[in-house]
Amino acid sequence: MRRELHAEWTKLRTVPGAGRLLLGLVTLTAAAGVALSAGVTCPWGRCTQDTVRLGLSGIQLGQVFVVMLAVSMISGEYGTGLIRLTLAAMPRRATVLAAKAALLTGLTVAGGAVAVAASLLGAGLVLPARGYPPPSPADGPTLRAALGSVLYLALIALLSLGVATALREPAAATGTVLGLLYLFPLAVLLLPDPDWQRLLWRLSPMNAGLAVQATTGLDGLPLDPWTGLAVPAAWATAALLAGGLALRRRDA
Amino acid sequence: MRATIEVIGLRKRFGPTLALDGMSFTVEPGRVTAFVGPNGAGKSTTMRVVLGLDAADEGRALVGGRPYRTLRHPLRHVGALLDAAALQPGRTGRDHLLWLAHSQGLGAARVTEVLDLTGLGGGVARRRAGGYSLGMRQRLGLAAALLGDPPVLMLDEPFNGLDPEGIGWLRGLLAGLAAEGRAVLVSSHLLSELQHVAGHLVVADRGRVVADTGVAALAAATGGLEAAYLRLIGRRGDA
Amino acid sequence: MPELLRAEWTKFRTVRGWVLTVVAAALVTMVPGLLFAAGSHSSCSEGPIEVPCPAPLLGPDGETVEDRFSFAHRELTGDGALTVRLTSMTGVITYPPPDHDKIVAGLVPWAKAGIMVKDGTRPGSSYAAVLLTGGHGVRMQYDFAHDTAGRPGGVSPRSPRWLRLTRSGDRLTGYESPDGRHWTEVGTARLSLPDTVRIGMFAASPGDLTVKQSETGGSIGQVRFTQTTAVFDQVSLQGAWAATEVGDSPGQTDWERYHRANGLVRSGGTFTVTGTGDIAPSEDGPTVQDTLPGVPFGLVVVVVAAVLPIAAEYRRGLIRTTLLACPRRGRALAAKAAVIGVVAFAAGLAAAAVTAPIGMSLLRANGFVLPPTPLLTEVRVIAGVGMVFALAAVLALALGALFRRATGAVVTAVALVVLPYMLAVFSPVPDDVSRWLLRLTPAAGLAIQQSVPAYPQVLSHYVPGTGYYPLPPWAGLAVTAGYAALALALAIRSVRRRDA
Repeated sequence: MRRELHAEWTKLRTVPGAGRLLLGLVTLTAAAGVALSAGVTCPWGRCTQDTVRLGLSGIQLGQVFVVMLAVSMISGEYGTGLIRLTLAAMPRRATVLAAKAALLTGLTVAGGAVAVAASLLGAGLVLPARGYPPPSPADGPTLRAALGSVLYLALIALLSLGVATALREPAAATGTVLGLLYLFPLAVLLLPDPDWQRLLWRLSPMNAGLAVQATTGLDGLPLDPWTGLAVPAAWATAALLAGGLALRRRDA
Repeated sequence: MRATIEVIGLRKRFGPTLALDGMSFTVEPGRVTAFVGPNGAGKSTTMRVVLGLDAADEGRALVGGRPYRTLRHPLRHVGALLDAAALQPGRTGRDHLLWLAHSQGLGAARVTEVLDLTGLGGGVARRRAGGYSLGMRQRLGLAAALLGDPPVLMLDEPFNGLDPEGIGWLRGLLAGLAAEGRAVLVSSHLLSELQHVAGHLVVADRGRVVADTGVAALAAATGGLEAAYLRLIGRRGDA
Repeated sequence: MPELLRAEWTKFRTVRGWVLTVVAAALVTMVPGLLFAAGSHSSCSEGPIEVPCPAPLLGPDGETVEDRFSFAHRELTGDGALTVRLTSMTGVITYPPPDHDKIVAGLVPWAKAGIMVKDGTRPGSSYAAVLLTGGHGVRMQYDFAHDTAGRPGGVSPRSPRWLRLTRSGDRLTGYESPDGRHWTEVGTARLSLPDTVRIGMFAASPGDLTVKQSETGGSIGQVRFTQTTAVFDQVSLQGAWAATEVGDSPGQTDWERYHRANGLVRSGGTFTVTGTGDIAPSEDGPTVQDTLPGVPFGLVVVVVAAVLPIAAEYRRGLIRTTLLACPRRGRALAAKAAVIGVVAFAAGLAAAAVTAPIGMSLLRANGFVLPPTPLLTEVRVIAGVGMVFALAAVLALALGALFRRATGAVVTAVALVVLPYMLAVFSPVPDDVSRWLLRLTPAAGLAIQQSVPAYPQVLSHYVPGTGYYPLPPWAGLAVTAGYAALALALAIRSVRRRDA
């Protein structure tokens, strides 16, 4: 695994792109979170909005950069035919995928941590003027929301890597992951029965995964915060398994 | 490890097409073996099967008596040039070799050595591979094949894109590598070049070996490698 | 150019994967709408008995309306006028936010009290009225959809409002005055009314609407009973007045039973009219638009279908072959755009043309009563889906040629065309932000689907989630077309200048 990791890291750092995508992640997540926080109100004089969740909502947008990073890590190799050289040099295909996954997780966690920290800091600057206290890392639920959001990003990255390894074509892989993330919540709303809605919500990677960001109104959520993260984890596992199997069995 | 490539009874289908139909031959060390045949004969497919990239439906391919996937540092056993254009355009030539080196536990020093060996020393290697000419890409691919100093080399159309000076240089390189006791398999259409370099000839047609013979005897007996080749292919077509 | 188009079409149709992706886009558009229609049921009951839902009430122009109010009226034959002085307008709102536990005194913004000329007392019949509202001043309204503003402000015993409504042939004119002497015209209406009509005072109060975010995303609307009471005096017409609860539904709320019933209380020359309900267009029931929730789904697939061919050409320098065959690069790209645009249009049109009629008949079979929509509107909606698909495809293709990277093109196209709509529907983004997003981004083109107009004089949850877009349909489509054209122009310029 060490050699695979070393080779994949060299590959990643010698092409510009990963850095820019991570910068995009941080910028978009923080900007959107701060913008939403700046628009928060106290309706009827009651300041009960979940400002932590609102401040971290930028992840719903910033996650596209994570998707792009993951897809480019594998699809670029198929597009240029480089995959043959990679697999000739490192014939243990599952290990190659694991190395890519490990690198991707590391990068996403690092970038995600910065994005989450920037979001909460920025929210802390604008919220007092709107009548809310700034989010504090000492607060248990806030810490949970922050950590959980970083984990969520890592899981989405792994999901995208698995899908891209299975599908190879970058446009199809990107479209599939974006659909999985953004069309699922729409589909939830189409179901007529509230019970069915809750069921589909529990299967949706973004809906369930971002439940970890909620700090108020937890009773109304269909899933507990940490349990919610299990959903994108399951999707990521399934995608990586499918990708790994495809990688192993296919001709390079 | 004994420097050999053994291909035994390979069969492979791509959908309705039978690409390999019982391909069998052995590449021995100490000489350059030319692997020739018409388009679609299965040469590239055979090489990919040897490297474990494509899976054969039947048969085995062994490098030094072992399947490729069991090799711990594969590039140190077999160096292959399959497709010189398989490069990330945004990466420099040096960095392309660098990650390959890292995957075999080798370092930047070896990268520099092999770049000098293939004539890509100096500033060329620090330019983006997307801007390389065909000849430069070919030399980079050769450098990648030589990176692990392997006893076995498999080169698919290595003469493509080289200027006459480059062709002469490569001929010399291949002869030297064979003289060092390595097993060298070269596939090419440029039979005239191979006549000067190859010591052994494997002719493939429609997925199987048609002739597996020493070059000198064949060329002397029938007046030229090209004539012999065409006759072999023609005869196969009549049968 | 024709050979170029033919070449690009051949290029496209001979790759099975690309064709299948377009077909998938059409299928993905159909499935959500059909599933939704098949799974939704509507039932109406009178007490414990289930009955078929009643046909919607139609106004004189054929649109669905709500027509419920308290009417103190008498007959008017030929030309005439009614002048009244309104001295008080009060009301109650039941269980408003934030606590939903009290009945408070107050007027909802569109509570109405005033004078009206109506063709009989049948709900849905033609009328004209000049009235005072709870929060929008004096207004003249007629035939449900028409609304003209007069002077703002409320009413109190110290500052009464005088209202006058005159009929002259088929012309009805409303006037208002602060003192009964100086009159300003509020508005006029031309209605074909019979010779004998009913004229009188009325009061109505629409339900109070609160919108709540649900935990599964989306929002839930809640409408609560309200009532308004208006006091009129100095009524210019004498004689016997009848009191009718127009459009009343059977049964009374607890408030009506124990506190104050709707109706007329006359004390000498003072008329106190208490009423509940609304006289306005209503959007009850699903329309063709509700069979098309799959459009965002299909758009994502269309974006992928448009990026696949252009990404394939840039990979491995295949673009060079194209440009050798046609050195006029702008034309080559324009031909690609034309082909993918037409293909996407066909997919969207086919999907909508199949889903809409099947979906609507499924809804009817499930007990829904669909309000009548003009055929032209339905055609516009269905063809509009095709047009949005075509524009999204052209935009995605242009981005693919600009970026030369498939992932960036797909993400950007989806973010511009689909994401704003998705954010507006299920995200914590506030309503006005999502409205601006749907005005400024290419997602504005989704407005072409809107089949029911939003009426300012009706308080309703007008958000994309319920099918209302901030821009008029064709304006929204023009925004998307503008983006697509701009992206294509930039891409053509870039392709011309760059090395291949």
